[in-house]
Amino acid sequence: MTKYIVNRLLGIIPTLLIIITLSFFIVRVAPGGPFATERNLPEVVKRNIEAKYHMDEPMIQQYGRYMFDILRGDLGPSFKYKDYDVNYYIANSLPKSIVLGSWAMLIALVFGISAGIIAAVKQNTWIDYASMGIAVIGISVPLFVIAPVLQLIFAMKLQWLPTSGWYTTGEGYKTIILPAVSLSFAYFANIARLTRSSMLDTLRSDYIRTAKAKGMKNSTIIFKHAMKGAMLPVISYLGPAFAGIITGSIVVEQIFRVPGLGKFFVQSSFNRDYTLIVGVVIVYSLILVFMNFLVDIVYAQLDPRITYK
Amino acid sequence: MFSKKKIEAPLNEFDQVIVGNSLGKDAWKRLKKNKMAVIGMVVVIVYSLLAAFAMFLPIYPYDQIILDHQHLRPTFNKTAGDLMMETKLEDLYFKAWRSGSLVVTEEQSTQIKTWIADNKTNTVWNFCYAEGERQRAAGTFTFSAADQKTIDRLQSRIETEFLISVEKLFWTDPVTGKTKNLEKMDYEDILPVYASITGLEPKDVEAQTLTEIRSQVLNTIKETSPDLTDEEYASSLEMELTAMGEKGIHTIGKSNLIGKIQTTVTRTSERTLKQEIKDGSAEFPINKTVNLSDNLTAEIQASKKHDRHYYLGTDYSGRDMLSRIIYGGQVSIAIGLVGTLTSVLIGIVLGALAGYMGGKVDFFLMRLVDIMYGLPYMLLVIICMAIFGRNIMNLFIALALVSWLTVARMVRGQVMSLKNSEYVEAARSMGASTGRIIFRHMVPNSLSVIIVYSTLRVPAFIMQESFLSFLGLGVQAPYASWGSLVGDAVNGMTLYPWKLIFPALAMTIFLFAMNFFGDGLRDAFDPQSKNQL
Amino acid sequence: MSLKPNAKTVLEVKDLKTYFKTDAGIVKAVDGVSFTVHEGETLGIVGESGSGKSVTNLSVMRLISSPPGKIVGGEVLFEGQDILKLSETEMRSIRGDKISMIFQDPMTSLNPFLRISTQMVETIRLHNKDVSKKEALARSIEMLKLVGIPSPEKRIQSYPHQFSGGMRQRVMIAQALSCNAQVLVADEPTTALDVTIQAQILELIDKLSSQMGTAVILVTHDLGVVAGMCDVVCVMYAGRIVEKAITDDLYARPSHPYTEGLIKSVPRMDTANKNNRLFSIEGQPPNVIDLPPCCPFHPRCHKSMEVCRHAYPPIKDLGNGHEVACWLYAEEATRAKALQDAEQQEKV
Repeated sequence: MTKYIVNRLLGIIPTLLIIITLSFFIVRVAPGGPFATERNLPEVVKRNIEAKYHMDEPMIQQYGRYMFDILRGDLGPSFKYKDYDVNYYIANSLPKSIVLGSWAMLIALVFGISAGIIAAVKQNTWIDYASMGIAVIGISVPLFVIAPVLQLIFAMKLQWLPTSGWYTTGEGYKTIILPAVSLSFAYFANIARLTRSSMLDTLRSDYIRTAKAKGMKNSTIIFKHAMKGAMLPVISYLGPAFAGIITGSIVVEQIFRVPGLGKFFVQSSFNRDYTLIVGVVIVYSLILVFMNFLVDIVYAQLDPRITYK
Repeated sequence: MFSKKKIEAPLNEFDQVIVGNSLGKDAWKRLKKNKMAVIGMVVVIVYSLLAAFAMFLPIYPYDQIILDHQHLRPTFNKTAGDLMMETKLEDLYFKAWRSGSLVVTEEQSTQIKTWIADNKTNTVWNFCYAEGERQRAAGTFTFSAADQKTIDRLQSRIETEFLISVEKLFWTDPVTGKTKNLEKMDYEDILPVYASITGLEPKDVEAQTLTEIRSQVLNTIKETSPDLTDEEYASSLEMELTAMGEKGIHTIGKSNLIGKIQTTVTRTSERTLKQEIKDGSAEFPINKTVNLSDNLTAEIQASKKHDRHYYLGTDYSGRDMLSRIIYGGQVSIAIGLVGTLTSVLIGIVLGALAGYMGGKVDFFLMRLVDIMYGLPYMLLVIICMAIFGRNIMNLFIALALVSWLTVARMVRGQVMSLKNSEYVEAARSMGASTGRIIFRHMVPNSLSVIIVYSTLRVPAFIMQESFLSFLGLGVQAPYASWGSLVGDAVNGMTLYPWKLIFPALAMTIFLFAMNFFGDGLRDAFDPQSKNQL
Repeated sequence: MSLKPNAKTVLEVKDLKTYFKTDAGIVKAVDGVSFTVHEGETLGIVGESGSGKSVTNLSVMRLISSPPGKIVGGEVLFEGQDILKLSETEMRSIRGDKISMIFQDPMTSLNPFLRISTQMVETIRLHNKDVSKKEALARSIEMLKLVGIPSPEKRIQSYPHQFSGGMRQRVMIAQALSCNAQVLVADEPTTALDVTIQAQILELIDKLSSQMGTAVILVTHDLGVVAGMCDVVCVMYAGRIVEKAITDDLYARPSHPYTEGLIKSVPRMDTANKNNRLFSIEGQPPNVIDLPPCCPFHPRCHKSMEVCRHAYPPIKDLGNGHEVACWLYAEEATRAKALQDAEQQEKV
């Protein structure tokens, strides 16, 4: 098991390397640069600035320097915001994004799995139709439609919840409800549908028939015998779900004005703030890769047939 | 010779008719039973037809900006002029209330103040309008002279302003006497036409047009890649012009010249029309032919500008939401379909190769797929869009490049399992080539799986496109997509909720339909759902 | 018609009918099946695949998934009580405890996510609430030892995928017998296994059932297995029992042309003429959707008569409980009448 974990962790390194390299070069290959709008500067000043950020060196040298800095945990100075460096911005905004994402994931998992199981057990009843109807809505309505509509209804018309902001704006936990719910909706829907179909598949399997032939109660069959098998597809869906929540949070943070990482990402892409873009991508990728790793471990724990090689 | 013999249905040993049971037929039968899937299919077809034939629909141009018609609310019976007047009156009544000339009770006044504090602008306006109209009818309120003048001026504008569009231009050659549609003439032939109406030499016209084209191209370059140095711009302009070639330059020049001629036609007809309106002899809508000179005739259409009906309201530049939603749908659906098709094709080719060749090819391709799966690819797409310029083509390429992964895996799995099946062995033993085996035998056999997957993939593609457009990274104005329409609407959605609701609804209904149809298709093709022993 | 005339009747199935609704029509998978199982007796049910053997057993356990399947008629009397009328809760106390079942495919019939110990202990404690976990575990280990699993103390903590197919089927048997069920339903227990292991498993079932006095319903398509193990044999065809007899009787005097064909198609070592080709029954078993009234075997029968095409044959007792459903054994008058009735029916 330990060996498996170590191997799996080692496998992460090339992926991360590719991500860093790819994003490093993509942003630099494109025409234009972070200081292009300040073109009116005298040539000397411009050269000074470039020298300060080592932009006058050959690309490979910049790359090597950057990789070395990353190994030390330094993501470099921001090209656009002169006061602080990238580490500062990420350290400030990442926790907010993580809180938001975790809530969204939690809501999606809890409600999705319960709805899926209930729908499977009560197949072809109104409960089944109702929860699957909601799930289809969740899949069909894009996040950037759900979020403003919820905002319009619950914050602006009914005024139950604040329209935007974060804990620090004084409204406390209430600020997180709308963004988290909107962000979770699509994943709730997918998880509910997956759970339902895999639960139905499992309930049709031979070993569930054996359990029935033993005279077991339905509830015991579902939770003791069917649950583990039915959860496997859901677990493997969690990897893509994490990726989706990360991208989704960009939209949600924009709509609900959450001062998280997503906001920085879009802004820095527009500004060509090289270090900030690459820094944010690295952080996102780290989270994603780590989550995928966790998902694999959980999967292996659940399924005894998987051997650790 | 071939008499029409009635084919006798095959019977089994119990004298029962044996009904043939092909997979496709069976699936179709099951799909027909699934009501939601059929409804979904119909909706998808309707949408696709609307999008495909958008240009033939009797709707206003999606990119025509009429600033007077900014943010008009959706209505069924009122014209744009009515709404403009209402908006003006709302504004005037509100100002009158503030200045104290519109007298309301103390209670109402407090109520209005709370509304203002709550940011309920629409409610305030509606109230002021209703109250003002009531009082004006009752005679307890009259506008000040200045206000009345404003109203009258607006009224006359609403009644007299019109829009002219030039439908067709004809040129009669003075030498041969043949009449030709300008659209169908060559650039070189149009040059003298323009010269004749301006009184310039054709040579000068050509030089002038060329200069214009250069600055046009330069502007587009500046738009797509800002922040270059002047030298870089100069060199990329030359490159672009060379790339366009003479033919490309002539196309642009032709459309420029026609545009100019159209403007001239519009100007002259405007003058005559205005006179006619003054005389009261004009009756809208007008379709007529104007003779610009002895040789140049134009078919023009004129309609009253403020007589338009906006069933779904207008946006911030006074563009018709209905046609924007339809044309936006065209873009979204096209990207969804073409994008899915491209990514599925890439996936099929790579997956089939990996599955059939096995060995190193397979290992390399699958590692690539694994690594790409681990990438937060939406982030990379965002970066690419932000940096390489935001246009539909880039968007489409970026999305298609990251969407082939699942298809490739799926096809690979299918091909691997089919590789050892008897019929493939048989084909190979008969000397069929690898390509033939893959694309004539294996791919068709996994087609049902691919079709089902693709159907479910289309809404995902549309969502990704709209997601980027929403962030401002996708389709750019004047073009629209559902995502960009929603994105434009989010700011100010309390004031102008129709801008959010209609595109969101249009998109949601389509995605719904697509998902139901896809689900139905999957269930229909899934042998497990075959209720058979 | 039992070998032991005084043995108590444990299970009696009367005119059982189980139908399935499908897109193509109603499938009469089991259409009027009756048989009796006595204490300590082994009843064999033989037939081709699709003849309704498994559905019969699942109906007895009330494990038909509904929809699409439904038990539409008949009675299943267990110790005189019709279990088709019991509530689901009452039925659960019978399943696994009084009647237990072994399934065809041992590879998929054990839960791959749970340890063998968990699955066995849970079976025992399900029906004996006062047994502690420890006792149940000890009992399980004992059962595993009984079915011949080496070092059961260690092996019980394994997961099913760590066992071979034969071993898994032994685990299934141990599990099924751990509650001292009165009836053991074995649904083709050896079909998925190697031939060498088949014999071991059957021997095991035979040994344990006689040790514990369990009645066994053995479903198989293998006539050799039946000859070796069963006291009584039912031959099924298209959802009905076409012949039922004491095993020796059946082999000595196969009366239905189908049974005859089945027995002839078993390769034998002792036939005089080795050059004879092996007998085979022509054609395929019928698709049982919307069958017209007729003997379903008639298209494949070399002795078929006009009447076979128009009416299902009545059941005739040939003595010593040897029952057969074939027009060959009906009286001329009955045949003529049936033919007449059928003609009349067709006219209407």
